[in-house]
Amino acid sequence: MTATTVTASRRRTPRFRLREGGAAWVLALPFSLLFLLFTAWPVIQSLYMSFTDTKDSDLRSPFSVNVIGLDNYRRALTDETFLHSARNTAYFVLVGVPLTLGIALAAAIALDKGVTRLRGFFRLGFYTPVITSIVAVAVVWRFLLKADGGLINTALGWVGLHGPNWLGDQHWAMPSLIMMAVWRNFGTAMIIFLAGLQSVPWNLHEAASIDGASTWQRFRHITLPLLRPTILFVSVTTAIGYLQFFEEPFVMTNGGPLDSTLSMSMYTYKQFNFGDYGFAASMSYLIFIVIAVVTALQFRLLQDNT
Amino acid sequence: MRTNRRPSITTLTYVLLAVALIAVIVPFVWMILGSFKSEGELRRVPPTLLPQNGTLDNYTELLARMNFTQYFANSAIVAVAVTAGNLLFCSMLGYALAMLEFRGKKLMFTLVMGTLMIPGVVTFVPLFILVANIGLIDSLPGLILPFLVSPFGVFLMRQFISSLPRELLDAGRVDGAGELSIFGRIILPLLGPALATLGILTFLGSWNNFLWPLVVAQTESHYTLPVALALYSTGQNAAQYGLMLAGASIVVLPVLIVFIVFQRRFIEGIASTGIK
Amino acid sequence: MKRTTFAVAALSVSALALTACGRSNDATSSTPQTGQTIGSGAATGSITMWAMGAEGEKLPGLVKDFESANPGVHVNVTAIPWDSAHDKFKTSITANKAPDVAMVGTTWMGEFAGLGALDPVPPAFDKSIFFEGAAGTADVKGTSYGVPWYVETRMIYYRTDLAKQAGITTPPTDWDGLKAMAKAMKDKGNAKFAIGLQPGGTGSWQGVLPFAWSNGADLTTDNGAAYNFDTPEMKEALTYYASFFTEGLADKAAPTQPTTDADFASGRVPMFISGPWMMSAVEKLGGAGFTDKYDVMQIPGKKSTSFVGGSDLVVFKDTANRDTAWKLVQFLSDPKTQVKWYQSSTDLPSVKSAWNDPELSADPKLAKFGKQLETAVAPPSFSTWEKVAAQFDSQIEKVCKAGLDPGDALKQVQMSATSFGVGS
Repeated sequence: MTATTVTASRRRTPRFRLREGGAAWVLALPFSLLFLLFTAWPVIQSLYMSFTDTKDSDLRSPFSVNVIGLDNYRRALTDETFLHSARNTAYFVLVGVPLTLGIALAAAIALDKGVTRLRGFFRLGFYTPVITSIVAVAVVWRFLLKADGGLINTALGWVGLHGPNWLGDQHWAMPSLIMMAVWRNFGTAMIIFLAGLQSVPWNLHEAASIDGASTWQRFRHITLPLLRPTILFVSVTTAIGYLQFFEEPFVMTNGGPLDSTLSMSMYTYKQFNFGDYGFAASMSYLIFIVIAVVTALQFRLLQDNT
Repeated sequence: MRTNRRPSITTLTYVLLAVALIAVIVPFVWMILGSFKSEGELRRVPPTLLPQNGTLDNYTELLARMNFTQYFANSAIVAVAVTAGNLLFCSMLGYALAMLEFRGKKLMFTLVMGTLMIPGVVTFVPLFILVANIGLIDSLPGLILPFLVSPFGVFLMRQFISSLPRELLDAGRVDGAGELSIFGRIILPLLGPALATLGILTFLGSWNNFLWPLVVAQTESHYTLPVALALYSTGQNAAQYGLMLAGASIVVLPVLIVFIVFQRRFIEGIASTGIK
Repeated sequence: MKRTTFAVAALSVSALALTACGRSNDATSSTPQTGQTIGSGAATGSITMWAMGAEGEKLPGLVKDFESANPGVHVNVTAIPWDSAHDKFKTSITANKAPDVAMVGTTWMGEFAGLGALDPVPPAFDKSIFFEGAAGTADVKGTSYGVPWYVETRMIYYRTDLAKQAGITTPPTDWDGLKAMAKAMKDKGNAKFAIGLQPGGTGSWQGVLPFAWSNGADLTTDNGAAYNFDTPEMKEALTYYASFFTEGLADKAAPTQPTTDADFASGRVPMFISGPWMMSAVEKLGGAGFTDKYDVMQIPGKKSTSFVGGSDLVVFKDTANRDTAWKLVQFLSDPKTQVKWYQSSTDLPSVKSAWNDPELSADPKLAKFGKQLETAVAPPSFSTWEKVAAQFDSQIEKVCKAGLDPGDALKQVQMSATSFGVGS
């Protein structure tokens, strides 16, 4: 083992490092080209728009607009509705992300280690919410959440609880949408966790259990550390997705009742629809900043630095 | 192998999973069953689960009215191309970011993550104007190229690859293998679960994509399946639930198949062997 | 060191570029324009037309008559989904990829005209053949940018059998009468709620404005140059509308997608306000003979005025074949074509004389819609209407659900409307 390492480090001449760098650039080429063309230019253009008073009627002559600096951003940050939507989004993310991750991880572990038969069947079943069209299932969910006679309230009635008017009450609309979002998205997180769990070498578990480690100890000291990159990935992408949550309120409540489910993305979309491109672009980039900060925090907390 | 697992825990797990499964799968089952109901039955309150008078009318009407094979083919070509592109290019860059040292590595990763974090709505119209100016409107490449490599995929592959041991690279270099062949011969074969997962997610995203194909296609011959189905099931004032559910059931089928195939072939295969 | 130089260079370039921007100061013409005349003779060449949903599917059949009357001309109809059609139009316009002709929702006219995308209607078209309110939807700042193609309007659907049970045999024509009818239907019938009204939320203005207009409210002032929400007539209408909720006659907690037809058929909510398309929906659910159990009545008020919607036909400015495009529009506005279109699509004709056809005059309920259409109006076709309407919806919701004073709500709406202005 040591001999190999010594030989390997002796091999690390400058010429060797250039080959590594060169290969890396070859590998990065497809992404770089497509990125420059299809991402960089639209981003630059939309960023520029956020510093101007561009309206939809100006899009055909993008340079005949007034540059107004940070005015759009100032306007967004003092817009009461935008700030309200930001609070709604924070509520959604802070509750939804841990819930989704927790349920997904539990399901993944149960399927990976807990059961041997019917695994594929359960996997498929838990993944179906992800692949169904939200418009199609909205009809079912509306019935589930109906105030009187809906399935959830009927079930609650059996245990003596009186369920609220889920979609019609401004305090219960957001929890309803969180439930729906968790249902819709835990499947994706689950299959990523499953892939991560599958990549944990079995011989490590074998060796540990021979050494007398319990299931929980094996989970804590072998599985969890090796799963860290996967957890980081799922946490970051779920948070990015939830910070931009749009479809659930758009289809189910249209931001209501009384703007209690209005998300930042929905509000921004409405502004784009009204033709206020500069203003809407600035809000989009404010959302971007929030996402960047939250992502950086997660990297700080969960990044594997070995 | 699992000698210290009490049978009662296993049974309990099965029961809990079964209950969870039923709860989770009800809307999906309802969608499929609903596609066999008449419009009148669908609007009834309280809704029925099993069709009272099962009918194939929704399907026959939908398939008769639209040029199904063309739309299906468009969707399939686009989804397969996008998935293939992503599987290759994302693993390439993901590997470089996870395992190699190079100048501009940090910048590259920041760009990848940055792109991932920008809300799609803000670049939508500028991207459309750009694609129009290039002349890719109303063409299949216009539907494929902007999505050929996604930052989500790059990030996913980077995370998966970073959990592989670096000794593999050293071993490869000692054996005199070139950098690219290390990637192709050593790393790639170990990425079964990651590639299968990325494949499913990319295929799903591409197959269900609605807004971009809607604006890029100028003639119906370039419509993808979701666009065509929206055409026949949404109205100015009233939605036609029967057609919409039938359409949704048709759209979901290929994704189900891709999921089953990818999951079985790659996950089950690797599970028993671990790392070679 | 290299990085800083690069950054400084990049910043200076962008700063320079930004200073090159700016709006030109030529005043855009806001005087009403008339379109240029179109050539006489047969139509030639080929044009593309976009149409949504079922209209898009059925249009090719109708267009064949146009093609046979004008040999050599070819019309390519592309059907687009209603879902996100607005987005598709906007995006295509901005990238100069709009078609030659299109059908466009009436509430989009102000916006598209404001983008400078539409060609003004040529003098050959006689606007008086259309329902006045419908023609008004295509009028933006005095210039006509399209012609109405098909129309719809809203009336109050009510269960005649349940009303009879409650002692109502003739439909009311004033507000007190409607309120009394609602109370009677609830108390003496088995209704949970008397009438299905939208308690705010997107599109609720379409339920409130008919009452306001019937009460004599005018949404614009200064000869159509400014919004005018804060008026006594408007306040009375909003108060009246909200009172249905406070008195328990309408569901305050109604979900965004109500089960209107199911509730109507079952009698749980025996009245609602909607357009002609609901007739087939409730008849499907109500079963055989249901058509005798319900009827429609005009919006009550001082002068019954409902909301008119539908679609207009427009020609885009960038078209390469303007003459043929407008000739197609002429063809589609011909009364005979309008009747033929009704037969294949059940879309109501926008041309008044088409209603004399036995197809339309035979059905009594349909004839009532025709009558309501004569006085129906549309909201002002300002390019800012959608923004203002969204504010209005939001305030309506606060009035209906949170008990906000209607006067305060309307003041808020007027403030927003004034700040948005009427657009270009």
